[in-house]
Amino acid sequence: MSAGPLLDVRGLDVRIPVRDGTVHALRGVDLRVEPGEVVGLVGESGGGKSMLASAVIGMLPANAVTQGEVLFRGADVLTMTREELLHHRGHGAAMCFQHARAALEPMRQVRKQLADRLRAHRHLGGQGVHDESRRLLTEVGITDLDRVLAAFPHELSGGMAQRVMIALALACAPGLLLADEPTTGLDVTLTADVLGLLRRLATEEGRGVLLISHDIAAAALVCDRIVVLRAGEVVEMGPTRQVIDTPRDDYTRELLAAVPDIDRPLPPVDHRSTAAAPVVTLQDVHVHYRARFGRTGHHALRGVSLEVHAGTTVGIVGESGSGKTTLARMLLGLVAPSAGRASVAGTDLSRLDRASRRRLSRSVQMVFQDPLGALDPRRTVLDAITEPLIPLGLSNAERQERATAVLRRTGLDDRFLSRYPHQLSGGQAQRVGIARALVADPDLLVFDEPTSALDVTVQAQILDLIRDLAADTARAQVFVSHDLATVRSFCDRVVVVYLGEIVEEGTVAEVFESPRHAYTKSLLAAAPRLGGRLVDNPTAREETTS
Amino acid sequence: MRIVRYLGLRLALLVPTLLGVVVLSFVLVRVLPGDPLAAFVTPSTTSEDIEKIRQRLGLDVSMWEQFTTYVGGLFRGDLGTSIQSGSPITTELSTRFGPTMELVVISVVISLLLALVLGVWSALRANRPEDHVIRVGSLVGTALPEFWLGLILIAVFYKTLHWFPAPSGRVDRGVDLTSITGAEGFDALLAGNLTALSSALAHLVLPVATIVIGISASLMRHVRASAIEILASPTWRTAQAHGVRRGALLRGYLLRGTAARLPTLVAIVLGNVLGGVVLVEYVFSWQGMGQWLLRGLLYRDYPVIQAGVLISAVVFAVAYLVADLVQALLDPRVKL
Amino acid sequence: MAPGVLTWTGAVLVAAVAILALAAPLLTSWGPEDIDPTAIRQGPSSEHLLGTDLNGMDVWSRLLHAARIDLGLAIISVAVAVAVGAAIGALTGYVGGWLDALVMRILEITQSFPTFILALAVAVVLGPGAVNLGIVVATVAVPSYARLVRTEVRTVRELGYVDAARTSGISNLAVLWRHVLPNSLTAVRVVAPLNVGWAMLALAGLSFLGFGVPVPQPEWGVMISEGTSDIVAGRWWTTVPPGLALVICVLGFSLLGEGLQERETRRRSR
Repeated sequence: MSAGPLLDVRGLDVRIPVRDGTVHALRGVDLRVEPGEVVGLVGESGGGKSMLASAVIGMLPANAVTQGEVLFRGADVLTMTREELLHHRGHGAAMCFQHARAALEPMRQVRKQLADRLRAHRHLGGQGVHDESRRLLTEVGITDLDRVLAAFPHELSGGMAQRVMIALALACAPGLLLADEPTTGLDVTLTADVLGLLRRLATEEGRGVLLISHDIAAAALVCDRIVVLRAGEVVEMGPTRQVIDTPRDDYTRELLAAVPDIDRPLPPVDHRSTAAAPVVTLQDVHVHYRARFGRTGHHALRGVSLEVHAGTTVGIVGESGSGKTTLARMLLGLVAPSAGRASVAGTDLSRLDRASRRRLSRSVQMVFQDPLGALDPRRTVLDAITEPLIPLGLSNAERQERATAVLRRTGLDDRFLSRYPHQLSGGQAQRVGIARALVADPDLLVFDEPTSALDVTVQAQILDLIRDLAADTARAQVFVSHDLATVRSFCDRVVVVYLGEIVEEGTVAEVFESPRHAYTKSLLAAAPRLGGRLVDNPTAREETTS
Repeated sequence: MRIVRYLGLRLALLVPTLLGVVVLSFVLVRVLPGDPLAAFVTPSTTSEDIEKIRQRLGLDVSMWEQFTTYVGGLFRGDLGTSIQSGSPITTELSTRFGPTMELVVISVVISLLLALVLGVWSALRANRPEDHVIRVGSLVGTALPEFWLGLILIAVFYKTLHWFPAPSGRVDRGVDLTSITGAEGFDALLAGNLTALSSALAHLVLPVATIVIGISASLMRHVRASAIEILASPTWRTAQAHGVRRGALLRGYLLRGTAARLPTLVAIVLGNVLGGVVLVEYVFSWQGMGQWLLRGLLYRDYPVIQAGVLISAVVFAVAYLVADLVQALLDPRVKL
Repeated sequence: MAPGVLTWTGAVLVAAVAILALAAPLLTSWGPEDIDPTAIRQGPSSEHLLGTDLNGMDVWSRLLHAARIDLGLAIISVAVAVAVGAAIGALTGYVGGWLDALVMRILEITQSFPTFILALAVAVVLGPGAVNLGIVVATVAVPSYARLVRTEVRTVRELGYVDAARTSGISNLAVLWRHVLPNSLTAVRVVAPLNVGWAMLALAGLSFLGFGVPVPQPEWGVMISEGTSDIVAGRWWTTVPPGLALVICVLGFSLLGEGLQERETRRRSR
């Protein structure tokens, strides 16, 4: 290996001309990656991370105007010829794209996609391709080689597709591996596996790894150094421990503060009375999705019992497929319980007719996971917020007045009333979603992962708002999340669901300090913590296909 | 194996649809205004004579009986007897089906190839001058009425330039060729008769060109659109970023992906051609099913109309079935 | 090409033809069915700008007046088809169940005939005449709109904002009207202009074969049909102008549709 760094970005400046002016995507970025090193490139969406990655693999938009250098083993990627680029892409620097399942060619078997890369960069054929394919898949922790090799991408689970994506990149035998958000959409345990794999590729094989992530906690687990990018500028750069423990830039501090750290001390809990009649009563509730044509149905909830009182907030935690979303949809009357007793604010959920449905909709409202998706693109914010008031038969002026009031409460002013969803940021859209849920003054507010689609600093702000709302004593709240740490700061009680059953229930202190069930313990262990350091863990777990 | 099961399922699903088609074509024909017997009436025919003819044609019984007779006949492969000519429909069809299918199949195949090549090429040079030319050309192509285009082609290439033979037959008069399938070009090929083959091909050029210009343009626009979609997909970007060789990239990723979206489209286009061919046959005096159906419609020849409409629906349905099968073979994501 | 350019070019072409059609009486002194016995099959002259046809009728006058039937009938019949189709599709798609299954089966059966053949049969049933011709074209177009809207409705029905609307307590019909329908008509808005072009070709084709507008009336398909013997004899003026008029109109609508489609895809990709 040559003495110099593998990747040396010097004063990179990228401007993209758009219809009305130019977007200054990167401003004088400096970045180095040495062989055997994992560098974390951290920041929120729109910060320029992907643009930087595109520059490294020589795939900037055709009309981009650049200054500075992107030196790869001393050669400037920005001035490479077409032939040099063909060699550099893949063999020099290979990118693992995010959302692996969508990035793999859907009509080509994994075997063929691996072969495409091995032929292009390693000049292997026949037996060579076969052997090397198996070796690569083994390396990324896949055990049932034959099945995966013959599989089409849609037959792979998310985690498996991510591993295949890494194997594809490795098949190019790159000096530098770029991983763009390789853990989005993966469960905590899988996230740890994938990050561990990246670390090992650097440590054992001497590759450089550039890990691009919005999640500073995840990056802290495996990176040697961290580079924080904001609005196209590097605001902080240094060894991981230094950046985490003694951040110098305000933005880094903001990012760090937004990480819901599980080891942080618990906030003081104000004890509220639970003497009042419960708003939600579930007794041994089952939800069974009916099967279509002979297939076995899906038993989403298996005997759940729960009470939620006015003035309290209950956190419902579980991984995807645990039944927590079904539970939330049932509380709203979108799914009917198949057995057991379920009532919300006195309305029986198992027998909903037109009148009781109307009554229910007045007493329960939901804040949705995808804030923009929950707003009709053709209707204004005012329309969206006042919709729950329509059945109440208020005058226009009254509706507008109430809309303005709740919107203020969520931290937006009335200029937003006339805007359309596409003019809102994710955070603003979620505030509108919360305002809409509050406007008819419901007895129960259900939050369905309201922050999981948002950037971390925005997440923190929305959680602050929800914490603030939790202080209202007239209302009960249910907060559904896949993440224990999120629910910790404002919930009174926590319920852990696993495979449709409640496996753990208690106050926040009980669940976090003395968890009883093994599943809760594993969730706690896998939760992100800033102080942590991932131990190399190459043994991959068996996965099932989706 | 799953293909066989799928095929069985689809054929089973086809039954109710075809039954509906049979009923609809039967009813449609019966509500036609005008009397099929009008053609037999001369000043000297008596009402007795008419009754006799009515009986002979089986039109004297109730609607329901006519229907059961008709459906019963269908099961025996009997489509009835033409009122006009008095000969069995199946006999008439045997000479009509081949010429039409020859026209349709050749046109669709040529259009498909043309569309695939031009569409992908155009997508690869999106927004360059040559792409604009192709796109405008294709828009004009879809806007041309085939009956008018056929006339113009005849006026230019037959009347003025004398490049192709007169639009009045499918081989030159005097060419010796025994009919096997009725599709002259194919028959000549089977018989190894080169004179007949070249004559048949010469007659095919103008009508085929008429159809191809119309449908290849619309097919091409779809091919271009799907190719552009692929070129903008994360999938394509990934393969490109990994430096996959250009040949593999074009064949394995672009062409493959584009082709996988084609079959259903081809089936739809085939439906358009089956309809449009009526006009083309009319313009070129091509004695196929279209001309036969037209005459049936003019003279209210019930059995002919029924059979013509039914056959075109069956061909269309089979084309859809084949398209879905091909699609399933090309795209692993399609659930069978 | 920018979507704006496409849309505008298309709009200008269609508008130009429409204006010419409306202004027809001002642009010619001959009525569309007036016969000039002194001029039969005569070439263009100062008296007859585009010559006369086999009956001695003025081609230029017929060309202009025909635009009223061709353009007007195509637009009206597609509008009717869209309204009826959207209503059927929205209802069946949103309600689902046996109604949906039944209606879809029926539509499927009508769609298993090649469109033009079905149109021919229906045209013969209804008999000749401009109004009947419009009904024919609208009838055969309804199933495709119904299915298009139904598919969209079934997608939109599952979207987050529809769930949100349902939980807000407004009635099902209000959800359909406020959220589902407006968001389900995107595809139709693009397809409809393209289909006006198709409708024009179908109308002219049926008339060309003698199953549409009856002979003395000015209609482009009829004019081409009457000029068939002329063009083979080298008399281009009876056939070429109506054909070109058709091409211009259909092209105009295609450009319009293409432009709208491009704008839609750009809007979505943003």
